Amino acid sequence: MKNGFAIFLTAFLVLVTSWTAFVLGPQLQLGRARQVAVLNSSDVYPTSRPGEAAQGLVVYRANGCAACHTEQVQQDGVVCDVVLSSAGKNPSVVSNLLATLKLSGITEEAALAAGDKITAAGGKVETHIIPTGPDIARGWGLRHSVAEDFLYDNPVQLGSLRIGPDLADVGRRLPDANWQLLHLYAPKSVAKDSLMPPFRYLFETKKIGATPSPDALNLPKEFAPADGYEVVPKPEAKHLAAYLLSLHADVPLYDAPFTPAAPAKP
Amino acid sequence: MSDEIKTNPTPAGAEPTAERSHLPMWILVVLLALLYVGGLYFNQHSGWFDKQVYSPYGNAAELELYQPKSGAAAALAAGRKSYESVCGTCHGNDGLGKPGQAPMLAGSEWVIAKGHNRLAHIPLAGLSGPIQVGGKDWNLSMAAMGVALSDTDLANVLTYIRSSWGNKAGEVTADDIKAIRASLGARPQVMTHDMLMALPE
Amino acid sequence: MTVNEKQIDTSCRVPLLVLFGGAALWLVVGSLLALAASLTFHMPDKFGDCSWITYGHLQPAADDALLYGFCIPAGLGVALWIFARLGQTPLRGALVPVVAAHLWNLGVLVGLVGIFAGDSTGFAWLEFPRGGSALLFFSYLLIALWALMNFSGRREGGTFPSHWFLVAALFLFPWVYSTANILLVGWPVRGVVQAVVAWWAGNNLVFLWTSLAGLGASFYFLPKMSGRPLHSYFYALFAFWTLLIFGSMRGVPVGAPVPAWLPALSAMNSLFLIVPVIAITVIGWKTVRDATGPECKGGSYCMIEFGFVAFLLSALLLVTSACPHFSRITQFTWFGTAQTQLQLYGFFAITMFGAIYYILPRAVGIEFAFPKLIRVQHWFAILGVAIFVVALVVGGVEQGLKLQDPRVAFADSTKTMLPFLRASTTGLLCIVIANLMFALNVFLMIAAWKWSVAKTVFAFVISPLSKTEVKA
Repeated sequence: MKNGFAIFLTAFLVLVTSWTAFVLGPQLQLGRARQVAVLNSSDVYPTSRPGEAAQGLVVYRANGCAACHTEQVQQDGVVCDVVLSSAGKNPSVVSNLLATLKLSGITEEAALAAGDKITAAGGKVETHIIPTGPDIARGWGLRHSVAEDFLYDNPVQLGSLRIGPDLADVGRRLPDANWQLLHLYAPKSVAKDSLMPPFRYLFETKKIGATPSPDALNLPKEFAPADGYEVVPKPEAKHLAAYLLSLHADVPLYDAPFTPAAPAKP
Repeated sequence: MSDEIKTNPTPAGAEPTAERSHLPMWILVVLLALLYVGGLYFNQHSGWFDKQVYSPYGNAAELELYQPKSGAAAALAAGRKSYESVCGTCHGNDGLGKPGQAPMLAGSEWVIAKGHNRLAHIPLAGLSGPIQVGGKDWNLSMAAMGVALSDTDLANVLTYIRSSWGNKAGEVTADDIKAIRASLGARPQVMTHDMLMALPE
Repeated sequence: MTVNEKQIDTSCRVPLLVLFGGAALWLVVGSLLALAASLTFHMPDKFGDCSWITYGHLQPAADDALLYGFCIPAGLGVALWIFARLGQTPLRGALVPVVAAHLWNLGVLVGLVGIFAGDSTGFAWLEFPRGGSALLFFSYLLIALWALMNFSGRREGGTFPSHWFLVAALFLFPWVYSTANILLVGWPVRGVVQAVVAWWAGNNLVFLWTSLAGLGASFYFLPKMSGRPLHSYFYALFAFWTLLIFGSMRGVPVGAPVPAWLPALSAMNSLFLIVPVIAITVIGWKTVRDATGPECKGGSYCMIEFGFVAFLLSALLLVTSACPHFSRITQFTWFGTAQTQLQLYGFFAITMFGAIYYILPRAVGIEFAFPKLIRVQHWFAILGVAIFVVALVVGGVEQGLKLQDPRVAFADSTKTMLPFLRASTTGLLCIVIANLMFALNVFLMIAAWKWSVAKTVFAFVISPLSKTEVKA
């Protein structure tokens, strides 16, 4: 390439291609996304975060929590389970058939085939869709994270290192605000081997007044302050806890289908 | 070529030069081979730019395959789809209705009634004239929007509206719809409030 | 050295002193911050009382200080000098790049303080708040403009491979940086599109920009120092095209919460990066193979060679980590940190050290105060980066294997990392020592230059007036 203009043109064309693929393309596809339908329900997803939780996202960003935590669940695959919902008029025929078929951890085609056989014998079946993967097995999520999970977040804090566990679904896994506050103040008090530093500056150690504050943390002996003092969360800590509790990714969607566990009968 | 270079190295202090030997063929072959392998991978894993296909699904067909199809869950999904395309424009996807267009379905006594008979007649025969829904007076005209739907589709739609937006009423089966269609005949008369009340629940 | 060459070198003197001096300062600051961040894992309790010393503040600040504080100004300075030398044209109007370089340093300061104050934008490698990033953008534009004006006004026509790489790098940064800041901070796009833009920008800045600028410098210094011509023009052209095309079309990690075509496109192009890596290996190998020039004794030439090899390794790590089976293990682990550090420090910083040690004495006309320290610094830098990278590559893979096994409790995967983190802290300590030695030499040279300027001014002021100047 003899001259500067040729180099400039080359670089420009390549960068335009890269920009089209990774900036313009995603913006056209996802930039005007709206709420989507939850599978098998009249609900829409997501709902925007309540005020305290939105303020908590600000605290999350300002403290660089995304440096150690991710908010994206991964899913390696998906399998089906075929479950009998009614034995029909010939229970013995159906149960003989069940003994011969593989009904658990199979592909959808195999599930459809098995289901047809059982329906032909008079029974009724349900196919359950089950995501697989180490994140799912660990209970970090019920299905892989999708774009809709982050629709109302600004800034999106996906994270890139798992020095601490994934937080995409932590609101379902650890729904207790008190636990979250204790964990922020003294991680080792609730998680023995934690590498997380204590975020004591989000809390205030003050003298107990006439009556102890209702917000005061109930700390175990080795983390508790001196006698006559109590640890009270500052607003930032409460907002951060509210944000963590608002982190859910547990509804089935078209692009992340799964069969939710049946709610416990009252 | 290389002998020339050995005897004429870049003199110290002068700016570097680049010799002009040609690019060998083998590296282009490597590039083409990698392009082929990469293309295969992209074909299998990209979903061809479909915005709903996420990994681990490889394409839209696979994703559609793994949508819930059997059982009550699937019926609701199908019912929702049909509702939103046929009824939602007037009654609202949120079931709250639109003033001057269609009454609400969420909490409507006609929808959550114990029996589904009166409700099923409305989309199969149409409805016009004054009627009270949820304490409000309506006097509009609805065409028989359910005539074009199959028995299963209409049953799913009615089951869907009877169990959404806080409504908690029983399902409607395809057989129920079949029976009502048969009883109405080919050109049913448009329902009115009184005609509905004359029907058994 | 011809008179012309001396003119060229002297014309770049002050901009290079400011750029390299600032770079040395931020390099030391960045590595100290990284060391502190690393220490938070070994004594977490001591870092809990002030928000400024948490890992979430220290690590992003360290990363940004390395990239924006050291890498980019050093690359810009080397590019300015290489353009002037290759085109045989002195740099004109040096005041503008000098002012711009000072503005750049101010921008980095504002940015780092912003991160500590809690105003970080929340996106990796783009954490500087608005004020800092605006300063960086405008000062980069000025310096790049000056370099391009020098390039277009060059006496020596035609282009050398280094020209292409450096011009592309000059053009790349303003485009990517402005797009990223506008779409993430100015008028934020919705939802997960932010993450895609951030990944795109991160890849283009950390991998592509440093590769282009670093290779531009390597392709100049390898033939120059070895006394051999670069092998070859067309190989370099091929490497340039393939690196630019494939290197810019990647960045989205496998399994990300975005439609599957983005990670698939990214993985595909990461695979294709093997081709420029092969081409660049051949270029380097064939250029220095028959060299009778300087042996590797810990000087500039050694650093350029080491940086070159480090680039090949870093690119290979990048390619392997994009392969879906392997990325499942290495994503979200310290493996990525190791690869980034190998790219930024092992390749780019060490190449810049070699270049700066070569350029500064010629530009300023003064030798370094402690020339023997250069060799010591060289070995500390290599040792530090080798320990750091090997520890975190091995540790990252182990951590990844444990994360992939759901029967292993999460706490065990973090416990596994502790010995590797200790090793990496040792590596960082060696890097800090190396950086301090580098900064010492550079600052002493600045001081010596300022002293010589002061002496000249002083001599002028007290010199006796000649008879003709005294009026009767």
